[in-house]
This record gives sequence, C-alpha cells and structure tokens, in this order.
Amino acid sequence: MRRSKVLTLFMALALTAGCGGGGNASSGLPADQKQPASSGSSTGNGIRLGILGQCEGPFGGFHEDVVAGTTLALARFAGASPSSKTSALEGFSGAKVAGTPIELVGIGCGDDTADRIVQEVRRLVEQLGANVIIGPLSGDEGIAIAEYAKAHPDLTVLAGISGSQEQTLHVRAPNYFRFYGDGAIWNAGLGDLLHNKEGWETVAVIADDYSFGHTSAAGFIADFCAVGGKVTHRVFPPLGTTDYSSYIAQLPNPDEVDGYFWAVGGTGTQAALEAFVNGKGDLTGKQHAGNLFFNPDLAQALGTDIAGAYVGGFATLPSDVRTPEIEEYLAAADKTWESIPGALSGNKPAKPSVAAAFGFFYGYYTAGVALAEALEAVGGDITDVPAFHKAIAGLTLDLPYGDIKLDANRSGIVDVGLSRLVNESGKVVQQTVAIVPGVDQTFGGTFSPDTPSPGRDSPACAKRDLPWAGKAITVVNGVPQR
Amino acid sequence: MTPALIDTDSAAVESRPALAVSRFAPLRRPSGWVAAVVAVAFAAWVLFLADGTPAGPAVDDPGRFMVTVLDGVTFAGLLFVAASGFTLIFGLMRTVNMVHGSLFLLAAYIAIRVQETMVGRSRNIVPADVGVLDWVVPLLVGAGVAAVLGLLVQQVFLQWNEGQEMRQTMVTLAITVVLADQMLREFGGLARRMVWPGAATHFLSIAGERYPTTRLFMLALAVLVGVLLWLWLTRTSVGMIIRAGVDDRQMVRGLGINIRRVFALTFLAGSFLAGVGGVMGASFAGAAPGTDGSWLLNALIVVIIGGLGSLRGAAAGSLLYGTVVAFSPAYLPSQYSYYAIIMTFGLLALVLAVRPYGLFGRPA
Amino acid sequence: MKLAFACLVFGLALLPAVATPFFVNFVMTQTLILGLAAATIVFLAKYGGMISLAQLLMVGIAGFMYGNAALDGGARGLNLGWHPWAAAGFAILVTTLVAFVLGAIASRSTGIYFLMLTLVYGVIGYFVFAQIVEISGPGGITSIQRPELLGPPVLLYYAGLLLSVAAYAGFRALGRTAFGLALQGVRDDPVRMASLGFNVPLHRALAFALAGFVAGLAGLLNVWWNGQIDPASISIGPTLILLIIAVIGGISSLKGAWLGAFVYVLVLTYLRDLPLVDRIGLTEARFNTVIGVIVLMIMVLSPEGLTGIVHKIRKQFGETRP
Repeated sequence: MRRSKVLTLFMALALTAGCGGGGNASSGLPADQKQPASSGSSTGNGIRLGILGQCEGPFGGFHEDVVAGTTLALARFAGASPSSKTSALEGFSGAKVAGTPIELVGIGCGDDTADRIVQEVRRLVEQLGANVIIGPLSGDEGIAIAEYAKAHPDLTVLAGISGSQEQTLHVRAPNYFRFYGDGAIWNAGLGDLLHNKEGWETVAVIADDYSFGHTSAAGFIADFCAVGGKVTHRVFPPLGTTDYSSYIAQLPNPDEVDGYFWAVGGTGTQAALEAFVNGKGDLTGKQHAGNLFFNPDLAQALGTDIAGAYVGGFATLPSDVRTPEIEEYLAAADKTWESIPGALSGNKPAKPSVAAAFGFFYGYYTAGVALAEALEAVGGDITDVPAFHKAIAGLTLDLPYGDIKLDANRSGIVDVGLSRLVNESGKVVQQTVAIVPGVDQTFGGTFSPDTPSPGRDSPACAKRDLPWAGKAITVVNGVPQR
Repeated sequence: MTPALIDTDSAAVESRPALAVSRFAPLRRPSGWVAAVVAVAFAAWVLFLADGTPAGPAVDDPGRFMVTVLDGVTFAGLLFVAASGFTLIFGLMRTVNMVHGSLFLLAAYIAIRVQETMVGRSRNIVPADVGVLDWVVPLLVGAGVAAVLGLLVQQVFLQWNEGQEMRQTMVTLAITVVLADQMLREFGGLARRMVWPGAATHFLSIAGERYPTTRLFMLALAVLVGVLLWLWLTRTSVGMIIRAGVDDRQMVRGLGINIRRVFALTFLAGSFLAGVGGVMGASFAGAAPGTDGSWLLNALIVVIIGGLGSLRGAAAGSLLYGTVVAFSPAYLPSQYSYYAIIMTFGLLALVLAVRPYGLFGRPA
Repeated sequence: MKLAFACLVFGLALLPAVATPFFVNFVMTQTLILGLAAATIVFLAKYGGMISLAQLLMVGIAGFMYGNAALDGGARGLNLGWHPWAAAGFAILVTTLVAFVLGAIASRSTGIYFLMLTLVYGVIGYFVFAQIVEISGPGGITSIQRPELLGPPVLLYYAGLLLSVAAYAGFRALGRTAFGLALQGVRDDPVRMASLGFNVPLHRALAFALAGFVAGLAGLLNVWWNGQIDPASISIGPTLILLIIAVIGGISSLKGAWLGAFVYVLVLTYLRDLPLVDRIGLTEARFNTVIGVIVLMIMVLSPEGLTGIVHKIRKQFGETRP
C-alpha cells in the first residue's frame, strides 16, 4: 500500500509535468519526431536566440562576460536594450535587424564539460525552440556542440570563444561558424619573433595535459619549428596536479636552453610558476614566453622581474592599442551598462569596458555582430536556411580588433596580437609589440582534416613555410606601423 | 572497535584488528612481506635501475634524488596539516566531514584578501613585500573564520543526528555544494595566491640543485602543528577526554562529562586546522574553484592510507602519499610519466588490498 | 500495489503520445538512465550494505568501451569498427569483469571505508581515462551513433523504460533468491555468515559485479542518448551527483532511485524557468546553491529521502494499514 502511494505520486508528477510542458496531444507519437516541433514553426517569425555560457566550473566567473558580449553586439547593431543596467544576465528586448526580431529564449549554463553543454543546448533548442545558438565557451564543449550542429542542419551555431581546433577542422559542420581564432592560432607568430628577433634556438615547452594545453603548445611549436627553432623538451603535467616540482624538474636548467614556453592555466599557473622559481631560478623576461595564461591578470604569481616576456594573443589586443574603432567599442560597452560584474574584476561590479577588452567577452561579441550582419545580408529572411548559412560563411566582419573572415571550414582567419610584459611602476602590464596578419588554422599545412589532433607528440617539430612568417606588423607605443 | 586517535601502544594496534577480521583476511599475514618486497624493489629501481626516466638512477644523480626526497617530505607536511583536522573529527565523532575542503578554500580566499589589504596591492606581490605579520595575521583570520563556520555547521546540522554516518555525510556534502557556489559568487573564478613571507623565502643549494626554504618552512609548520596537536591530546584534560571519547563515548558520558561541548571543541579545532592547511596550500599552490574538491580528496587519500581517525596514520599516510607524488613523475620511464597520477592511486589500491582499514585503522 | 506498478508502467508507455518530444526524449529518457544507474547504488546499499561511489565509473567504462569498439575511422579512440551490437556486448562484458575485480578488492571493506574506497575507484577511473588518451579520445569520444534498431529517439526512451522495469523487477526478485538472502545475511552479520560456511567476499564481489552489469547497461543508454563521452563525464562532480540522486530518493528504496533521478532532472531543467526563482536572484548562475539546499532540506527532514518523506506524510494523514 505504501508503495502504491509513491508510485501514484510519481506517475501524477510525470504526467502533470509532461502536459504542463506544453504537450500537444495530436495523433501519433509526437515524441517520435526527429526535429523539435517548435523549430519548424519559429523560422518564420524571427530569430530565437540561445546563448551558451558557463556558470560553473573553472570558467564560471566568465558567465556574465560572455552573455554581455553578445548583448553588446545586438545593442550596437540590432537596437537591443538590456533589461538591466548592472547585469547582462537579465536579458534584453527590442532587438531587430531588417525587420526580423531577435528574441533571447534562454541562457545555457555549462560547467566546462561536453556532457553538460549538450544537455544545455538540447534544452535551448528542443524545449525553448532556439534556432540560433551563440556559444560555447571552452574547447571540448566546442567539439560537442559542433557535432550537435552537424546532426541538426537547420540550427545555426555561432561559436562563442571555444578554442579547440577540431570543432571546425575535423567536424566541419556546415552550420557551425567561428568568428575568431583557435588556441593554436593565438600563439602564431610568437615562434618567429622569439627565434628571429630574440635569438632563441632551443625551447622547452610546458603545457597542461589536455586539449587546450596541447592546442596552445601545438600552435607555438608549429610556428617556432617552422622558422628553424628546436623544441628540446615537452612536459605535460596532468590536470589536477598540486605539486608541480617533479614536472618542473623535468625541464632543462636555464643555462641549458634559450627559453621556456608556458601554457599552464587555472591554479596550475601560480603553482607551476612558483615551482619553477623554487627549482630552477627566478622568472626573467628574457627566457620566458607564454600563451594567454601569461596575462598578468591571470598569472598573479609573476613578479616584476618577468618584464620583457612575450605573451600570445587572445582575440583582443592589450589596452595600450587604442584605435578609434576600439575606443568606440569600449565606449559603447560603457554606455550600454553602468557596470557589470565580470570575471576580471573578481565578479564585482566594474566598468563594462574592463570585461569588453578581454577575449571571452569579445568572442561572443563577434558572434553577435556576425548574426546581425548576416541577417542584414539576407534581408531578414531566414526561411531559406542554406542561404542564411551561405550569407554567414561569406561575411567579412569589420571588427574593432581587426577584420575577420572565415576559411573553407568556417573558422576565422584573424590578426593575432602579440605582446610583451612591461613593468609600469611596480605593476606588470601587457604592451603590444606585433600584429600577425591573416592567420588561419592550418598553419601552412601543419594541421589539416587528416592530421591527428594536437597531442603530446603532435605536431612534430619541422621546418616549413608559413604564410605569415616575417610579415608581422610592428607595434610601437600602441600604434601599428603598417 | 573504535579507532584510537593516538596509538600509544603499538602492540595493541597489531593485535586488536586481527581479531575481528581475521576470518576474511587471509592476506593479512603476508602483508609485511608484500610491503618489504615492494619497498626493496622500489629502492633498487630508484637507486640503480632507473635508466630512461626523467631523473635517472639515484647513484648517477644524487642531487636530483635528494631533492625528490625533500619534495616528498615537504609536500607530506602540507598533506598532514590538511588531513589532521579531518581525521581528528572522524576519530571522535565518526563524521566524514565533506565540508573540510570548503573550509580549506574559504580560509585561503579570506587570507588572500587580508594579505592583499595589508600589503596594499592585489597582484605582482613578491615575497620581499611580505613581512612575517603580513602572512601570520591573514593565516589566523582565515583559519579563525573557517573554525567558526565549521563550528556553526556542526551545531546547526550535525549535532542532532549524531551516529547517522550516511546522513551526516550527505548533509555535509550538500553544504559543500552550496559553499562552493557561493564562494564562486563572492571570490570569482580566477586563480589567486597567497605569498610566503620574505623572511621565509631563500634558496639553498643541495648537491648542486636549487632548493627553496619556503618548502622547509612549510614542513616546519606542519611539524609544529603535529607536536601541538599531540601535546593537546596527551597533556591537557580536554585532550584526555577526547581520547577517552574516541575509545568509549558512553563511558565518558556516564562519568558526567558534557560530551557535546567536547564535540564542539573538536569541530572547532578540526576546522581551524583545515583553515591553516588552506592558507598554507594557497601559499604553496594558489586557490581557485575546484581547490576545495581536490584537497578534500587529498585529505581523504591520506586518511584512507593511514587509517581513519588515527593521527599517527595521518602522518604515515601523508609521508607515503607525498613520496609517491614526488617520485612517480621523476622515476617512471619517460614514456610512462603521463601515468604518474594514476600511480598515486595505485598506491592506495595496494594499501587497501593488504590492509582494508588503512595502516593504523580499525574497522569502523 | 502490483496494480499501481502496472498502471505506472502503462502510463509511462503511453507518455510519448501525450507529452512533448522534449519531455519524453530529454527529461524522461535522462530520468530513466540516471534512475537505472542510481538503482545499482540502491541495490548494493539495500541488499549488500555497501554504498558505492564507483557506479558512475561503470557507466563510463561501458560508454568508453562502446565508443572505442563501435566507431570506425574517426580521429578519436581505438576505432575498432565493430558491429554496434557486438560493441555493446563487449562493453557490457568488460564493465562486468572490471566490476568483479574491483568488487573483489573491496570485498573486505565495509561501511564508510567501502564508500571511500569506491570514491577512490571513481577517481582512479577518471585519471585512467584522462591520461591514457588512446582509449579516451584524446579529449573524449564523439559522434557515437546508436544501433539502427534504436534510431528514433523515442525508442531509446522505450529501451530505458524496458531496462528500468526489468532492473527493478529483477533486483526485487533477486532479493528472494538464495543468493539474495545470503547477501542480506552478509550485510547483517558477516561473521556469522562466514562461520556458516558462506564465502563472504565472494558474495560481495558478485553483487558488485551484478551492479556493474546493470550500470553498464545504463552506460550504453547514456552514450547512445548523449552521443559522446569524455573523462569529465565520470569526474568527481557527476559521481557525487549520482549518489545525491540515490539519496534524494531514499538510499534503501529501489523505486526511490528513479524518483530521485526524476526530481533531479526536473530541477535541473525547469527550476530556472519559474518566475519566482528568477525574482529572488537565483538565476541559472546560482543553480548549484539551489540543488545543495534541496538536498540539505531533504536530508534534514528525512534520512530516507523523498520516499521517507512520502511515508511520513502518509502517516500524518492517519493511514494505518500496513
């Protein structure tokens, strides 16, 4: 008798929730449709936008930033007005391009895992009826969402800031577009600079032992080896390492190698750098370079001695470069909100331009701009999905930090900004030194749909011609010397 | 059968557990042999045979070997501090306190904030900027907050369901989930770090290898914590009540002692130790979301190896775990060094296969 | 009682005719998969007195093994290119064998030690798949297809329903067999059972292997439903979530496993849509706080989870029939 009560309750709950979810008791089995019922009907009446952010996990602090990025793009180019002056998470209203309204149906809440993001995108698409997705944020999520896009050809996905190479190079979903670079691209040109300008012949690489670490290292290795450098050591400490000293010990001593390249993120950044100081010697600008994790906001363990070190790019340029377009973009962010609690301000309210100047915000911004411009290009008519996708693929976006167009696999061909760390009266800041123009994700044939994903041993160190070698545009005092 | 917090009589340790479980423990007797064989094989490998490993045989590179030993011992110190509070609480109250990791991280975050305020800068702080007080005051503030919060958790959520292990575990697990989310909201998602005081930051040369005094400082702190704990438990009346409570709770109660107050005090001390561990951990390796889970796991591993509820077990477990963490990346063949982290857990499986209740533990 | 059970199954079988595709193919399918996996925790706890945190690892092993065996020519995994059903059989076989070996190693631990040992299993499993990239990707195995027989998503729902009913009935029936009774004897008094000549560790290991087998089935459904699996799928976070599901429902109530899964999926999917929740500042960004508070409340109210709460409410209304 007890059991029956529970079971009845269970059943009642199930049925209520099922019908309450908006069930249409039509003939046959509605659940047997491969396509969600809502997506077909919604194509006629505008864009139903879902944004995939991350509110948990290591990038949980950037949730506000990324939603704000897309919101700013739609505020600037689609007339959207945010519902709150102090947060982007409240959504926006009034967005419309060429007569087609853009409605935000939901914000997905990822936790840096592929499983969760697939569930979130299914909720946005299959329950809330989204027909355009902007996101996701991180590498493995990107691969999963690209696969999801491939299986749902009517959906349109504009990637957020996910940095894995495979989501475009290997998956090649025709409806998945990425208007920014990948983790490898962001280190393009760094090897050229270090080898030819700083005279590094040999380098030791230390990177996280997972896809983003591998991809970052791959971009650097491909570039450094292409111009004739040698990689003597590749050390990959596993994620979850607390004591890095045994891994640091596997690196050569400072007198045995010209320099070190770092791609260790999260808590690992502080712990690994600390372990280096403990075991090998002080961190000097002359001998160190890193990917975006070397940003002084992320790598707080860097002392002032690190001045002189080179840092790879990450979608935007450091704050010393101030073109009119950038000024306009940052001012627009400050006009859209009074403040937003972005990650760089420790999720405390701060000027929106602080978040807008960083890559996470900007990646989602480029996706929003792409959406608005593509709608403009098709005159607001999204009933012909292939034509809409073709319009997106053909876009060249005129963006504040450089123009971006897409390659054959719908991944961005971008300009990469390389910077150096300088000591500004006791505070380490980034100073842009070069802009590497027109970088694409194949690295002159190093990576292709048939090559293995970047890994512990791949790519091999080989000399080859890179289209951008020697073409870097020098930047002096924030002004590119074109 | 209850685990003793302090095993004053080692003979008792040998005889008591064997009684209850000997029927299911045909492997128990050869455990000494297994341990000896493993130890000899390990020593032979590290000393002479380890060609093709990142470090090379110890006879060829004694400096590297000594540094690896020191790395293991000093990291073990941090592990001990992190695990001692956990095992203290379990020993007396049988509570698997999942909040331990959250208290660890919370103390770290708070100490970092206090230190940044005291130094007047939030980044690029170098040890030279940090006086001894700039480290000790944040330590006390952070650990103090952790202690108070731990006590609060115990008073509100754990006092009335004493003895229901699973329920308490789940309650603390739920609190952990909430705390982690709230810390993400309050402190953001970026990694932060605490800076060692300049006075403790020097570098030695050990057989030609550079070695930092901060790691030795960490070890010294751990030894200090261990000695103070031992004195507290053996030389004070409260400590004696705690030890008596571990052995027989009902008897202590029957003697008219207010065991609830002792429980509260134990939770306060255990949470304070979690906080001290957190501040040391943040100075050693930084703090970020996720640090709570990984240090809860570290504490768990240490006490599983050593035996739940045994302080001596915590020390032994820390040493063993620290040694494996330091040696496996250095002395596994180079092509297998990616699997070093699996080795750490292999140790655990080995210990448990031979001694299901850990080195110094008894059946719960 | 049997009637109510039959009614429930009947209702669930008819559900696709009345509910939205999303509710059936997402909410209910996920509920059945998580419920099936959580039921193995309950089975071990209820009949064997062992609370296992290694069940999600079994789910993961089955998923990875299927992905490695069934995929053909992709960039990830071993790409053995087997027939999907051969791959499924292989996955279940490997999972069951691993479960038996792990169960044998753990068979002398009990209580909180068993809980922690299995937690360590889960963590080892995570690192094995994270570090041995040959079998896990690298970075996970993607674009996993389900067998053609289960092509339409609704059939996956029915597969989940069928396996859930079979597992529920099977576990209950097992409790009355000689093996099941012996297992419960081992749970209550291992010393006496040993002296009566029962092989205590073997009984525990076999129970663990059986739970692994069923969790493996859940793993197959999961990987067919999700289309991909990566090491993060079996990290410590989701491992604890599965335990939370079992505990929400009631750790010693088999049906509670599905009830817990249903509540979890409902909260995960629908809670943030409630306008009230939004207004008090609990946006999706604070979702974990909500889950934590819910679990906390359930555990404070009743150690037997929702099933226990339902029983209490029933008593309040004065029903006294046994």
